[in-house]
Amino acid sequence: MSMKLRALLKSPWVFHLSTGSCNNCDIETLDCLTPRFDIERFGMILAGSIKHADVLLVTGSCNRKSAERLKRLYEQAPKPILVVAIGECSLSRGMFIDSYNCPLPLDEIIPVDVYIPGCPPKPEAIIAGVVKLIEKVKGQAQKKKK
Amino acid sequence: MTRNEVLKNITAKFKDSIIDVFDKSESRVYIEIKPESIVDVATYVFKDLEARFNIASGTDCRRHMEILYHFTLEDINLMVSFRVKLSKEKLEIASLAPVFEAANWIEREMNELLGINFIGHPELKRLLLPDEWPEGVYPLRCDYKEWDEKAIRDRGV
Repeated sequence: MSMKLRALLKSPWVFHLSTGSCNNCDIETLDCLTPRFDIERFGMILAGSIKHADVLLVTGSCNRKSAERLKRLYEQAPKPILVVAIGECSLSRGMFIDSYNCPLPLDEIIPVDVYIPGCPPKPEAIIAGVVKLIEKVKGQAQKKKK
Repeated sequence: MTRNEVLKNITAKFKDSIIDVFDKSESRVYIEIKPESIVDVATYVFKDLEARFNIASGTDCRRHMEILYHFTLEDINLMVSFRVKLSKEKLEIASLAPVFEAANWIEREMNELLGINFIGHPELKRLLLPDEWPEGVYPLRCDYKEWDEKAIRDRGV
């Protein structure tokens, strides 16, 4: 595994973006950072800016206005960036699928690496998803080496 | 002033413009008024009765367009909602934004989502919809049709 990727997986910094969610997924995401679930065990901390981040957490059904901002953030992110979709809204827009303001699901706008379903997903589910993401990237890196 | 005095004052002062009074409960009254008199009624309720303007809400009722202006009289725990029915051919009503600033944004929102024209509004432009949204398409109307051909409306399963 390359040095860069190993450093990234050792301590992925997370940037949290809400694209018009009801805030429930955001609360559960912030719950992961509290001592009870303590996602910092895996070296994850919230980054204040996308330019410092390795992982982009997206919650909410991307509406027409926030989709533009989402694209702009994705372009600003240092590559490689991993995208995690949290909650039913960002997976398939949930109950807002026929809304005039939500034309596209998240994975049609930017590439997504891990989907965490639930409305909202439990903190345990979010941790499981993130651990799966780390495993997935490790597996890819090892395959590349061979 | 008690609840009965307030209602009596309103009905006495605007005898000609009130169409219907619906006394729903102890804390809720709906008063249907003519659209021409909304500025006078709102000015009286806001300035003289010192009610708080909560919000206005617009609805497309198929036959007509309806706006409800909600006012609260907090010291007697009463919410008065003034109902205005507009015909679909002539979607116009006088703006309340010159009377109180709180009506500014909600009127802009009703204008973009329902297409109601507020006469005398200081700046009637878009509030929430994105820039690429076409002119003359109002999403909260009953006859709204999907205009975006790129939109995906299935879950892919």
